Amino acid sequence: MTDSSVIRLREVTRSFGEKQVLKGVSFEVSKGEIFGLLGPSGAGKTTIINILTGQLSCGGSAEIFGVSCGKIGREVYRRTGAVLDNCGLYDRLSCADNLRLHARIHHVSFSRIQEALTQVGLEGCEGKKVKALSKGMRQRLALARAILHSPELLFLDEPTSGLDPATAAEIHALMNSLRKSGATIFLTTHNMDEAYRMCDRIALLSEGDIAECGEPAELCRKYCSNSELSIVTTDEHKLSLENAPENAEAIAGLIREGKLKSIHSSEPDLGTVFLRLTGKELDK
Amino acid sequence: MKTICALLIKQCKDSLHNLPSLMILIIYPVVAFIMITAMQDEENMGDIFIPMFAAMHCSFAPLVISSNILSEEKEKGTLRSLVMAGVSRIQYLLSLFWFVLIAVMLTASAFLLMKPVTASYAGNFACAMLLGSAVSAVIGMCIGLHSKNVTAANGIAVPVGLVFALLPMLGQFNSSLSKAAEFTYSGQLRTVFEGGCFTAQTWLVSVAYLAALSFLLVILFRRKGLE
Ligand SMILES: Nc1ncnc2c1ncn2[C@@H]1O[C@H](COP(=O)(O)OP(=O)(O)OP(=O)(O)O)[C@@H](O)[C@H]1O
Ligand SMILES: [Mg+2]
Repeated sequence: MTDSSVIRLREVTRSFGEKQVLKGVSFEVSKGEIFGLLGPSGAGKTTIINILTGQLSCGGSAEIFGVSCGKIGREVYRRTGAVLDNCGLYDRLSCADNLRLHARIHHVSFSRIQEALTQVGLEGCEGKKVKALSKGMRQRLALARAILHSPELLFLDEPTSGLDPATAAEIHALMNSLRKSGATIFLTTHNMDEAYRMCDRIALLSEGDIAECGEPAELCRKYCSNSELSIVTTDEHKLSLENAPENAEAIAGLIREGKLKSIHSSEPDLGTVFLRLTGKELDK
Repeated sequence: MKTICALLIKQCKDSLHNLPSLMILIIYPVVAFIMITAMQDEENMGDIFIPMFAAMHCSFAPLVISSNILSEEKEKGTLRSLVMAGVSRIQYLLSLFWFVLIAVMLTASAFLLMKPVTASYAGNFACAMLLGSAVSAVIGMCIGLHSKNVTAANGIAVPVGLVFALLPMLGQFNSSLSKAAEFTYSGQLRTVFEGGCFTAQTWLVSVAYLAALSFLLVILFRRKGLE
């Protein structure tokens, strides 16, 4: 393990009953990066977070901060924060009370509560009961709780799913500022656009295996080198042609005959990469 | 210790906003008070109703409340968020145990205000209440550990709680039930609430319950953790 790697998985396996969900997953996450784990629903993203946070046992070796995930103790938990799919907030308590509990546990001063609420855009909600919050607000409160003790490593399980674009953008901005302050972020998502813009590196999880791992732009270049042109004709036929000299005549012909309705270059994106690699759509 | 305090504060605030669990905590003292006031004309109603409801209070309330809190924390994922904040499972169970004992003792003190009592009676009463609540809380924690969610936990906790709460009272009407009640901790403690003192049998039965159930709790905890 290099000094800078915060998370390391080696040939991690996990089954639920007969079903093998993870079949030997390996990757490393270095300090200070935003790492994205992408995969369709049911691929095992949450399972990997559960393993990394010591909530599930596994085969192979999984470590965070050099500590085996089966033996995580207080010291490691103090250095990590997490927003999980089910937020784990106390419904009957107010926002501030939820955060006060964790401030006491982490020995953080109460003044941090106000700061954290402001960071996630929930200023003014201190006294509101959690059960009166919308889904997006709960998600943000859970995020405030996760960053309360300024953790070095943050796990975010689909932090923007179900949020409106403006709120999602706020969370992205927060993630960027956390990275600037040196935190490592482990993110799962099925939003390719989010992964492309936010992540330094991504891993594509499919059928219990890492299909590919690397920088998003590099993966796009690798798997979508020859960009394609999508053409729609006046009689609503859709064509897809490679952007190459031998197709010039065909396209020119359409223009001459006045049959071209629209023409676009289709930009390579992670969804296409995923489709090429696994034959499956990412956001299904 | 700081962590346990943090959890206790959280639990107090949470329970104050949780009407059903508040009801369970105060229902027996309140009913006892109503009965005693309603039958003021007859003598010594306190001597009849206080032991009866005190025995119910110390067997039913801690049992149902501890299983309820534990299973709700499991169901809502809040327990997981605590564990991931570095709270150990032992710390959590200890805080739950302390909370239940404190809440039950505080509400039980109302019984002592309903009739004039001697200091030695009050001492015995507190001791029996504490012992009974501890046994019931351990039963409730076993049920909470075993159950996946609140509904499942209540499905077990309420009938079990009712058996221990009602058996001593029903024993008054039927000799075989009264024999059975002698083998329950609540039946034994009832005799203390009635003004008797702790006999060897009271200690034996109650401590045997406490030991056996704590053992069960450890086994369940080892097997299931807090998942
Ligand atoms: N406790 C469990 N018991 C049985 N099966 C489980 C359990 N947890 C997860 N699984 C199975 O493991 C697989 C992966 O689940 P997981 O929650 O990790 O998927 P995911 O990638 O997070 O999906 P999503 O994007 O929908 O959140 C699923 O097929 C699920 O049925
Ligand atoms: Mg998931």
